[in-house]
Amino acid sequence: MWRYAAQRLMLLIGILFGVLVITFALSRILPGSPVEMMLGHRPTQEQIDEAKAQLGLNQSIPNQFIRYVSDVARGDFGISLRTGQPVLNDLADRMMATFELTTLALIIVVLLGVPLGVASAVRRNTMVDHCARGFSIAGAALPVFLIGMILQMIFYGGLKWFPLQARMDAAILYDYPFDRVTGLYLVDTLLAGNWIAFKSALSHLVLPVLTLTLAALAVVTRITRNTMVEALAEDFIRTARAYGLSRRIIYFRYALKATLIPMLTVIGLTYGFMLGGSVVVEYVFDWPGLGGYVVGAITKNDFPAVMGVTLLLATTYLVINLIVDLLYFVVDPRLRSS
Amino acid sequence: MRIKNLFAAYAAAVMSTVLVASAPVVNAASNPVTYAMYGDVKDWDPSIAFSLEVMMLANVYEPLLWYNPPGSEQQFTPALATEWSVSDDGLTWTFKLREGVQFHDGEPFNAEAAKMAIERTKEMKKGAWYIWADVASIEAPDDSTLVIKTNDPQPIDLIASSQYAAYMYSPKAAEKGTDWFNEGNAAGTGPYKVGQWVKGQQIILDKNEDYWGGWTDKNFDRVILKPVTENATQVQMLKSGEAQFISLVPSDMVASLNNEANISSYAIPSWKNSQFLINTKKSPTDNKKFRQALTHLWDYDTVVNEIYAGHAEVGRGVVPATLWGHHDGIQAPGFDPEKAKHLLKESGVPESEWKVTMAYIGTSEEYKNSALLFQANAAEAGVEVELLPGEWGVIWDRAKNLETAPNLQSMTWWPTYPTPNDWMIGLFRTEEKALFNLSHYSNPEYDKILDAGVALEGSDRAKAIENYHKAQQILMDDAVAIFYADINTRIARSSDIKGLEVNPAYNAVFFHRIHR
Repeated sequence: MWRYAAQRLMLLIGILFGVLVITFALSRILPGSPVEMMLGHRPTQEQIDEAKAQLGLNQSIPNQFIRYVSDVARGDFGISLRTGQPVLNDLADRMMATFELTTLALIIVVLLGVPLGVASAVRRNTMVDHCARGFSIAGAALPVFLIGMILQMIFYGGLKWFPLQARMDAAILYDYPFDRVTGLYLVDTLLAGNWIAFKSALSHLVLPVLTLTLAALAVVTRITRNTMVEALAEDFIRTARAYGLSRRIIYFRYALKATLIPMLTVIGLTYGFMLGGSVVVEYVFDWPGLGGYVVGAITKNDFPAVMGVTLLLATTYLVINLIVDLLYFVVDPRLRSS
Repeated sequence: MRIKNLFAAYAAAVMSTVLVASAPVVNAASNPVTYAMYGDVKDWDPSIAFSLEVMMLANVYEPLLWYNPPGSEQQFTPALATEWSVSDDGLTWTFKLREGVQFHDGEPFNAEAAKMAIERTKEMKKGAWYIWADVASIEAPDDSTLVIKTNDPQPIDLIASSQYAAYMYSPKAAEKGTDWFNEGNAAGTGPYKVGQWVKGQQIILDKNEDYWGGWTDKNFDRVILKPVTENATQVQMLKSGEAQFISLVPSDMVASLNNEANISSYAIPSWKNSQFLINTKKSPTDNKKFRQALTHLWDYDTVVNEIYAGHAEVGRGVVPATLWGHHDGIQAPGFDPEKAKHLLKESGVPESEWKVTMAYIGTSEEYKNSALLFQANAAEAGVEVELLPGEWGVIWDRAKNLETAPNLQSMTWWPTYPTPNDWMIGLFRTEEKALFNLSHYSNPEYDKILDAGVALEGSDRAKAIENYHKAQQILMDDAVAIFYADINTRIARSSDIKGLEVNPAYNAVFFHRIHR
């Protein structure tokens, strides 16, 4: 297992390098110049020339690439042209906001999707199955931004239950300060015992998390259902039934366990999907995470920021895949022996 | 078992006390106002800021003078200078400074501080520093006197009221440098000081208790600036009362928003205008008659009324009609296909060469639809228009180089400080290497008249205006551009806001001057 992990880590570095090459190439081949972005609404020719020199844009592309890679290797992702701040600081600020959003959504998707899938499989082609299917397909069929806006209209515009946007009420964020220990507002406010800020953070999470959940629920539910259906048709289940074991034990101890490997795969993929989906959700809800950041960066030709986010997301995605692969060894004893 | 229960109860009690005993309120505010901004502040250093920062700058900092909106009796409102005068030769400006004013960090505002702020801006050569480029020396003979000497006559009163690069800030802050500013710090003299900046989330401005202008009970004691990128979200915030001002008002929503009970939405003149610059060096638009023909193929009224939904006026020359120095005698050429056909024939350009290219920012609906309309009208007169939409950085680079430049190039312009020469120099004065003169226009006579006007702007504004009028007429006669729209600013705000005076000189709301 450890040798496998080491091999995978080596591969990961190779893939990241590939990602680096592709994003860099795209950023230089696609038309558009980032210089105006840095300089405000009316730069002088001297300012333009200086900015180009500063960004190294007047060097050859291979030289620019070497410079970029060596900077990245030293942990320097450059300065964002749009925010004027070091990209690394921007990413650090925003990463945890995205993490809070996607992780909560993933937990809910699993807690909701797995039982729903199991129920659909066990009571195949009954009302339970049809309802679960309808509900989850609707979530998958609607574009994420539309779900977000519909939820905003209902729960903010109509019912006034939940806030429209942002991570916390502006006045509360200022008047009830708390230390940013983890960057997860829910955790930080709890650690500080700051109940008011906690409530604000929680209420601001509801709609964006719900949006992401609805968008991802279908996949988890459907895959759980299908793998469960397959497992229930296996011989060992028939044997268990013949022994007269209770349904609960059959479904949850034997059948569900057999679905663990495909489930892990799906959950890993779902997390990747959510990182992508969070781009839209964050834009709709002004969530100050990586998604909103990358949209702003792309529309403004902010190369250093785009490359930084891409690298970070690619790394996250690859690490999650690695973790999932390693978890196979944990859940399946057969893999460990081979 | 009982011990276990007891332990659980104890733990629950501890948890709930921790949760209930929350942090106390640290910064109480009784009367906040919220503005939904399009984007966050990028450059916090007042010497560098040259973009969306004015909303923050104009409330936290003050210049020497504020420029008054068009139609005011006086051109300026004294800010940190109370009196000012210029020598007869127009080279020496003397400002009497307001006494007893302190920066937010407690440093006194005086002539040395003002000298430092201007000199630092000039030396850094960042942002809009060039408005001070001609300053030869700055002296501070005593604490409340500032003397600015220039190489050539300059309108230092106008320059000192610029919305960029003219704010006064604490020398202590300058010592700490740009990095300190960019952590969200500020030290001005304005009515509000920066209380908090959470990157990408919010800027909180708090009441500056010691503000020299004083406070009344009605004033807003807190300003919340929130970056909100989606206009639908902004509109929802305004409707619910969560925001009192929004920055993105879709042009087709002005009327419907105004029908809402608690919202006022309307459009007022700005100093932003849009034009298509016509290349004067490139065939066939190097032919003056051909250019004039193009200006008659533009359907001015339809563009303004339909495409801009009425939130613009038909442009009358290069200077917006509400800015001083605008030549009222200038009329738009008017949509006149017959006259255009006549001019096309007269031009002597063979019909086979009646082909022009037209570049514009592709993401702008207004540009796109205006260009499509022009293309259709031109086609009826026999002129083929090839549309080249693109991203600004790309089309700008192409337009600068005569080889790759289009015949028509979109351009929207507004002044750095309130002067008509901003357009006349920036867009049409001869440039050795084209930067914004994308008409590639070069007319020595025009340059001469313009330069003479610029030299008189500080000392004899009436004379300067005479020259500016002549220069504007030359541009119309030479048909260097299709000047088609003076853009209006669209406002949407809570209707209970009183005292709002929108000033085209500043891209900002002055929160200290308004109330509920």
